[in-house]
Amino acid sequence: MSLIHLEVVSKFYRVGDQEIRALDSVDLRIEEGEFVAIIGPSGSGKSTLMHLLGCLDAPTSGRMEICGNDLSQASQNRLAGVRNREIGFVFQAFNLLPKLDVVHNVELPLVYSGLPASERRARAEKAARDVGLGDRLANRPVQLSGGQCQRVAIARALVNNPRIVFADEPTGNLDSATGEMILQMFKDLNAGGKTIVLVTHDPDIARISRRVIEIRDGKIRREYAP
Amino acid sequence: MNILVALQIGLREIAAHKFRSFLSMLGIVLGVSSLISTLALTTGIERGTRAFMQQVGGLEYVGVVSKEISNAKFDFWNLSPGRTLRDAMAIRGSAPLVSHVSPELAFGAVVSAQAHSDRKQIRGVFPDHFVVARHELKAGRFLTDLDVDRALHSVVVGDEIVTLLWPGMNADDIVGRQLRINDRPFEVVGVLPKYERDEDRRRRESGKPVSNSRMSRRWDAFRQKNESILIPFSTMFYEFRAGAFPLDSMESVRLDGLTVRIGDLDKFRPALEQVRSALEITHRGVDDFDLDTREEWFDRMESSIRATKLSGGLIATISLVVGGIGIMNIMLASISERVREIGIRLAVGAKGRDIFVQIIVESVTIAFIGGLLGVIAAIGLIEILKLLAPTENIPIMTVGGIVFSVGFAILAGFFSGIYPALRASRLNPISALRYE
Repeated sequence: MSLIHLEVVSKFYRVGDQEIRALDSVDLRIEEGEFVAIIGPSGSGKSTLMHLLGCLDAPTSGRMEICGNDLSQASQNRLAGVRNREIGFVFQAFNLLPKLDVVHNVELPLVYSGLPASERRARAEKAARDVGLGDRLANRPVQLSGGQCQRVAIARALVNNPRIVFADEPTGNLDSATGEMILQMFKDLNAGGKTIVLVTHDPDIARISRRVIEIRDGKIRREYAP
Repeated sequence: MNILVALQIGLREIAAHKFRSFLSMLGIVLGVSSLISTLALTTGIERGTRAFMQQVGGLEYVGVVSKEISNAKFDFWNLSPGRTLRDAMAIRGSAPLVSHVSPELAFGAVVSAQAHSDRKQIRGVFPDHFVVARHELKAGRFLTDLDVDRALHSVVVGDEIVTLLWPGMNADDIVGRQLRINDRPFEVVGVLPKYERDEDRRRRESGKPVSNSRMSRRWDAFRQKNESILIPFSTMFYEFRAGAFPLDSMESVRLDGLTVRIGDLDKFRPALEQVRSALEITHRGVDDFDLDTREEWFDRMESSIRATKLSGGLIATISLVVGGIGIMNIMLASISERVREIGIRLAVGAKGRDIFVQIIVESVTIAFIGGLLGVIAAIGLIEILKLLAPTENIPIMTVGGIVFSVGFAILAGFFSGIYPALRASRLNPISALRYE
């Protein structure tokens, strides 16, 4: 069974009197262990697609199954549960909590899965060490470089051992050398068996994946292997 | 997410915005401190009033008083002998629920000792009087049955009389001294203590001048007790009263006062009934007497205490509600500042419920800390009150009052947290994440 399975999924937004078809009858399957890049210009619907795949939102119509959960009409609470267990996010703007140090930022998903404090801490420290931040555990985001911040975010995305990691323009706020390094981390993760979905507007970055899905005007325009 | 984590987050949030948190607590601090002080003040008044009620004889004290005869029985007025010692004997004999009976005669006479003399009210009493009127003893003894049986010339005097006749003398040295009442010699056998209100005692003990009760226009329930000159009933009759109406015997002389003490307050009504039926026989059915209880008087005192409590409590409650609104205001500001944080928490899997709990815990924590500060403020406030305006009664802070006030503050925090918490928990993760 596919990890992600969309059948004629649409997402409409209503802005005033106008209905915006952000995503229009999309069919998509992603299998365990794939490295998929979703590309498209801004306004193409790729963010909407990522929000659906990332369980941040439910579709307006169609069937959506993620990690064996039928989420076609799921409530926000149900989505939150799946998000917490099965999905890790890495954002362009890092989205770390500025008041918390590295360990506490990394352990955030575990807080909401109800683990006891000692286990949370142990797992968060291990995840931070795995991304090479073992000596930065007590630092706060402002004391870190962009690359380090993004590594904290990756550690946070991985700490719950999710089956899918979503990366939304993960190199957008980084210089090219640091960006390369972050992309390499995703490649390594994928080599280790993790399913990665990378969202970007840049076809160059998409090249590191093994399957590129191009979105335009709310539809999948083409798919290719780079 | 468990409460402990929410508490941790809440405390960190409060610590990160100390001044703002303090401002939002201020309303609660004022509310709690005023609630505690009000409770302390009314508790003080309540205790003072109850002590006063005890001093004046308590609810057990019932007077038998004369009354105008009703029209229907007016023709029979001369059948009734009025209040006499027979009444007292009848009550003693057939009203077992009455524990003590105190008939008394009163007589104005010149009292003198050494060079001093003054016209005073003398009262002839039985030993029961000391129980009914709740007298205490400073030196010597009360009057006894022996004093009454033998019509001895013994006298027990109150504090004012001591001050008048033997100024500056020790109570123990006065026992055994002589006193003349209308030139007849009496021996002082007992001295009563100074009866005074708590306020006066405190002032006296702290060395401040005590307002002279005779000069102040305030009615002083203790004045009569302090001016007591008590001699045996029989002595009073034979020495001062028998000559006036030669036909009277000690049993038939009209009393100037008749009071009884109810043994068990739970049987107050039946006891009154027993007294009433005993007196109906001795008065031959003529309704020229009435029972004067303190129920109404005490009820009035109680209801005025309740009114004070209620109005003070109301004001404090309003200020707590205002404090709650202050917290709500700050919480709303705080969540609109933290939309992005909430978005991040939602993105990593927080449920709406988790966010709700977090905001509620934060709001309750602010209220709780505010409540604790309010307790401290109340302690200070009460000290200042004591210094500035020494009222009749010392304010008394009770644990119950503190727990009640802080509990109320927590409740205010809880309710004012609900709306902000609902708003925060209903945020959409996508738009919250995009929020700048």
